[in-house]
Amino acid sequence: MSSREVSLATRLRRAGVSDTERALSLIQQIEHVAGVGLEDPALAVSYLADPETGLLQLLRLAEAARDSGHLEDLVALRDRRAGARLGVLLGASVALGDFLVRHPEYIADFDAWPEDDALGTVDQRRVLLEAVGADPDADVPVASMAGSDGVAAMRVAYRRQLMRVAAVDLFEDVPATVFPAVAAVLADLAGAALEAGLAIARADEPDHALTRLAIIGMGKCGARELNYVSDVDVIFAAEPAEGAEDDVSLKIATRLAAAASRACDRPGPEPALWQVDANLRPEGKDGALVRGIGSHQAYYERWAQTWEFQALLKARPIAGDPEVGQHYLDAMSPLVWNAVERDGFVESAQAMRRRVEEHVPAHEQERQIKLGPGGLRDVEFTIQLLQLVHGRHDPSLRSRTTLDALAALRRGGYVGRPDAAKMDRSYRQLRVWEHRLQLRKLQRTHLMPVDDADKRVLARASGFATVEYMEEVWHDIRRDVRAMHLEMFYRPLLPVMASLSADEARLDDAAARDRLAAVGFDDPQAALRHITALTEGVSRRAAIQRQLLPAMIGWFAQGADPDSGLLAFRKLSEQLKDAQWYLKLLRDSGSAAERLARLLSTSVYVTDALLASAEDVTWLGDTAALSPRAPERLAREADAILTRSDDADQCITALRGLRRRELARTAAADVLGIIDSVQAAASVSTAADVLIAGALRIASAVVAREEGMDDLPIEFIVVAMGRYGGSEMSYTSDADVQFVFDGDHPDAASLAVKVAKRIQRLLKQVNPQPALEIDADLRPEGRNGPLARSLASSTEYYERWSDPWEAQALLRARPCAGSPELLERFTAMIDAVRYPAELPASALKQMRTLKARMESERLPRGVDPRRHLKLGPGGLSDVEWTVQLLQLQHAHRVEALRTTRTREALHAAVSAELISAEDAAELDEAWVLATDLRGALALRGRERTPDVLPGDTRELKVLAEIMNVRDTGAELLDRHGRATRHARAVTERVFFGWESGT
Amino acid sequence: MDKQQEYVLRSVEERDIRFIRLWFTDVLGILKSVAIAPAELENAFSEGIGFDGSAVEGLTRVYEADMLAKPDPSTFQILPWRGAEHGVARMFCDISTPDGEPALSDPRQVLKRNLDRASDLGFTFYTHPEIEFYLLEKPQPGELPKPVDKAGYFDNVPRGTAHNFRREAITMLESMGISVEFSHHEAGPGQNEIDLRYADALTMADNIMTFRTVIKEVALEQGVFASFMPKPLADGPGSGMHTHMSLFEGDRNAFYEAGADHQLSPVARQFMAGLLQYAPEISAITNQYVNSYKRLWGGAEAPSFVCWGSNNRSALVRIPIHKPGKGQSTRVEYRAMDSAANPYLAFSVLLSAGLKGIEEGLELPDGAEDDVWNLSPAERKAMGYQALPSSLSQAIEVMERSELVAETLGERVFDFVLRNKRAEWQAYRAQVTPYELEQYLPVL
Repeated sequence: MSSREVSLATRLRRAGVSDTERALSLIQQIEHVAGVGLEDPALAVSYLADPETGLLQLLRLAEAARDSGHLEDLVALRDRRAGARLGVLLGASVALGDFLVRHPEYIADFDAWPEDDALGTVDQRRVLLEAVGADPDADVPVASMAGSDGVAAMRVAYRRQLMRVAAVDLFEDVPATVFPAVAAVLADLAGAALEAGLAIARADEPDHALTRLAIIGMGKCGARELNYVSDVDVIFAAEPAEGAEDDVSLKIATRLAAAASRACDRPGPEPALWQVDANLRPEGKDGALVRGIGSHQAYYERWAQTWEFQALLKARPIAGDPEVGQHYLDAMSPLVWNAVERDGFVESAQAMRRRVEEHVPAHEQERQIKLGPGGLRDVEFTIQLLQLVHGRHDPSLRSRTTLDALAALRRGGYVGRPDAAKMDRSYRQLRVWEHRLQLRKLQRTHLMPVDDADKRVLARASGFATVEYMEEVWHDIRRDVRAMHLEMFYRPLLPVMASLSADEARLDDAAARDRLAAVGFDDPQAALRHITALTEGVSRRAAIQRQLLPAMIGWFAQGADPDSGLLAFRKLSEQLKDAQWYLKLLRDSGSAAERLARLLSTSVYVTDALLASAEDVTWLGDTAALSPRAPERLAREADAILTRSDDADQCITALRGLRRRELARTAAADVLGIIDSVQAAASVSTAADVLIAGALRIASAVVAREEGMDDLPIEFIVVAMGRYGGSEMSYTSDADVQFVFDGDHPDAASLAVKVAKRIQRLLKQVNPQPALEIDADLRPEGRNGPLARSLASSTEYYERWSDPWEAQALLRARPCAGSPELLERFTAMIDAVRYPAELPASALKQMRTLKARMESERLPRGVDPRRHLKLGPGGLSDVEWTVQLLQLQHAHRVEALRTTRTREALHAAVSAELISAEDAAELDEAWVLATDLRGALALRGRERTPDVLPGDTRELKVLAEIMNVRDTGAELLDRHGRATRHARAVTERVFFGWESGT
Repeated sequence: MDKQQEYVLRSVEERDIRFIRLWFTDVLGILKSVAIAPAELENAFSEGIGFDGSAVEGLTRVYEADMLAKPDPSTFQILPWRGAEHGVARMFCDISTPDGEPALSDPRQVLKRNLDRASDLGFTFYTHPEIEFYLLEKPQPGELPKPVDKAGYFDNVPRGTAHNFRREAITMLESMGISVEFSHHEAGPGQNEIDLRYADALTMADNIMTFRTVIKEVALEQGVFASFMPKPLADGPGSGMHTHMSLFEGDRNAFYEAGADHQLSPVARQFMAGLLQYAPEISAITNQYVNSYKRLWGGAEAPSFVCWGSNNRSALVRIPIHKPGKGQSTRVEYRAMDSAANPYLAFSVLLSAGLKGIEEGLELPDGAEDDVWNLSPAERKAMGYQALPSSLSQAIEVMERSELVAETLGERVFDFVLRNKRAEWQAYRAQVTPYELEQYLPVL
């Protein structure tokens, strides 16, 4: 081995060749075939994206050139700029290299192109039409080469031009600078191909003159920002030629359109170019391929959906009859800008975007340049949305091309200069990667490679020294693009004084109002005032809020009631203006600000709770802090409060505060979807348990003191009844209870009543912390009976006097506070009553009658029964009575039925085969839905009683949002209707024992 | 403002229209109308006209409900019977809630929703009804209805009222853009039939609503009275609305398969199987009045039993004889429906029953070749021919338990229809009829 060869191997390795031995052998063979030596091969390959492939392709090319007599052309390129171009092309695109190998006669092209070849200098349409023997200057060019010959000729001509574009693109030092020109030429080339395809189609269609067909480019082709390889989106529009019949014209046009598409996308000896995709047409793939302009117009006026108008934004005639194309455009463009004024346009555009995102397979998310988070689609969407919002008042924004639109937005002051520049850079870089990936094999791909070797090729092709550096930039871009959507959309709403720098965009009032109204603010004027109040000034607070607000406005906008959300945020911030932790939390926590925005813009209940005790905002940064506290932990806390102080007022205030805090925590977690409504109800009930147990302790101590006793000579318990007993309380429910005591002391009864009254007073008296209403009407004899009853008297009463419904009420009795020993005895006593060995037929009849009467009497006047969540058909009461009937009938035998909780009992009934699983599922669904709805109504906080579904579908939609389901208001109402209808049918069968539904 | 709306505004101005009637339909299929002045039109397009939406709930409405009526500009028509000068025009409306969601209680929206569902499966639904009705002399209180002539099936009555009437009516229908395919004298005295040329189901339902109004108006002009009552004469045939249906996939008739039995594709067979399976549950929609069941069970050619046949005039579902080379016109005919049905809801349940058949891949039972009326009950039982409900009460009972109908109509409309129908049955049951008086009073 000579010293020259040793150093060449080293230099090749430095130039990026991994298998130097093979490279050396390839070089040798090339030199042998060409008959000349290569000038400094190491330097040459250092420019190639894939040196090995480049060399191999050069060898194949040399052989092909030799065999076809074009070797001279190849040798002539040696050591010249044209030769370097060829080399770079071979190194970056295997597919175009293969094309040259197939057609070595075009090697001479590299010599023929000017030294400083630029993009956009060639009339593509003319070149491709001439290639198929059509006259480019004719009004209606018809090919002289028809059929497969024409198609092949067109495709070869297309690829020759494509090769030239790629050669210029790849040779460019900074590919991002030429990207817009490349994308534009590619779109022109696609148009030219369709034009030539159409000329070929006409050659086979003798009556082609009867129709005037225009091909409208959509998507990236329409926008003149096409990829190297992607589907070309088109729409066909045709008008009859003068004197021709409409349907004849359409028939011919349809044949022409299909043939022109086939010319581009059918497989053939010269491979297909790309897929022609006409699915954006009216009615999609089910619609007619070609329509008249009137028919297009009628469709868009009547049927088209939001995204279809968005698609029209890019429409541009690219081939066929230019006049018809222009007519089409004139007819359609006003529609786009009218559509923007539709209600919810922005919202439905955003929903569409989310759906697209959800469709990207998870394993591709991280590699998707186009659809993944922070990808091209994000950039395009952000820009399009801004265009749509402001374009109806500012025609200067109505550009098809993404980067032009961005520039127009910047010039118009709708987007900040630095943001625009960042967006522009990111977009170009993403597109350059996409192009380089596609060029390699001329394949439609948008995925970053996984393989190290492929990554290396991509880095070299797009001008990055190392793979690591390229990946770093890729991550930065994705993060930036993701963040910029909210920034670009909402930042400019901040008043000028609040701008972070002079380069920031600032919208005038009208534009700001447009933007706020577009995302759902009802009173944009007021919203602007709040924004100003929050961000003006030089305080640290204002400075941080300026940082936070753009994103927060976006989150408010996603909530049900953006206006109140923003107002509440302003109030909260003013209340907490001196709290350092508050802004720090919002700024630094990943989730607190977003959660706060959601709570404030959906739930009046939570908003009030947070305004009452602003420090609770701290939970929002911490999911664990939002989860309900365990009952033992709350009991310990209550115990500590009671041990610390003897002062009754102080203690009860602290305990009531504790309950308020737990309610707020539960409500926040409920709205945020951290817990469901059934868990929430249990947590609300627990908070009541803790408070009542504490109140009992305080009351006993106070009464003892007043009576001059050390300890009260009685045992005393509180028994939770009704929904409270079932741990199914809602945020605003009263607590149903009864009081029971035991003791031989002569004053036992009066002492017990004093304790009971004191408990009620403690829970109700005026106090800064919210009250808990106690309802003791479910006690024996109701309001006529003593407030507290002794165990002995209760026992006697239940054994002798009670009605079946009282046994039923006892099913929900759950002793919740007081002497453990008495709790046990009481439970044993009532178990005998509520779980009877047999339910007499008379009792069953009485229950059924009572229920039927309740249905007609207890419903409030003027309320549609079907909207009543508790008492309506299939409502909570239907489900609960059915379950309770099963309990009365079978709990004596089936121990699992002995529970105060509806769902537990229902599940136990299924296990014991007392009810079919299907019936139980219907009951369960209706019960859970009604519970969800009641919870949501209470959280929404608009109605006084959360029992009646609102009639307004907008309010229903808000409930759906609080419930974290995707239904529209109407869908929610429909779902409720269905669930209750089914539950009612089960109730009629199982509870009432009716055979059919009448 | 889109082009179509602009067109309407321009026409209103050029034609000197003084009032625009906004039409909508209640759950019973009764046409309702709000008249607005031209000045309000622009607002009606952009915002809708607010009204008490409970008007669509039929006779049992209870609670008021704010709704918006938004005219559909593509349905703009000048009402020809209101004269050329200072004319009156109409548009059908879509009813929506104040936040712009389609109102679940609007029958037109019910049909739209079901057509959307079909379109999600790639189908367009076409219908073509044969509408029968009676021409009667102006009704006098307490008297039985008197037909205007005594002619029969396809009779040509020289200078007959009916003849003139049909010519006049058809001219008026055509002037309103409704194409008539066929018209003739029907079997009963004074009974006429007019067939509308097939159209997509929504357009057709709109057309039927217009048709009924036009027929009534023309009758009034000619001093007679037209009625779509299902069975006005105890001893005459009832007025049905046999409806031909087909599904298209794009431009292709999905019911047609060359060379198959009756040229029926598997889709058509499953669609028919669905119709047969669900016919009893949808009866209270396709035959919605107490009176409807007097037609259904009044013999003649009324289909009372669930079966199908080709060219069998007693079958519920019939395959019209196929003409060679007319693949596009392959269709199935549902013969139970009567002229008083709410076309929006009736088309909805028919479509839905058929689609269910397709979705569930139901098997089509064997066709019936005999006249089902001439079979004995035992024979019918043995051959598996189920009967349709024999009264409104029975129909309600069956429908009440129908998931298909509830799903198709949506819970709201389902509820409204049930309430209305129960109330109607109650009211009917409370009657003491002349028949009873005649039969019982003298002897009991």
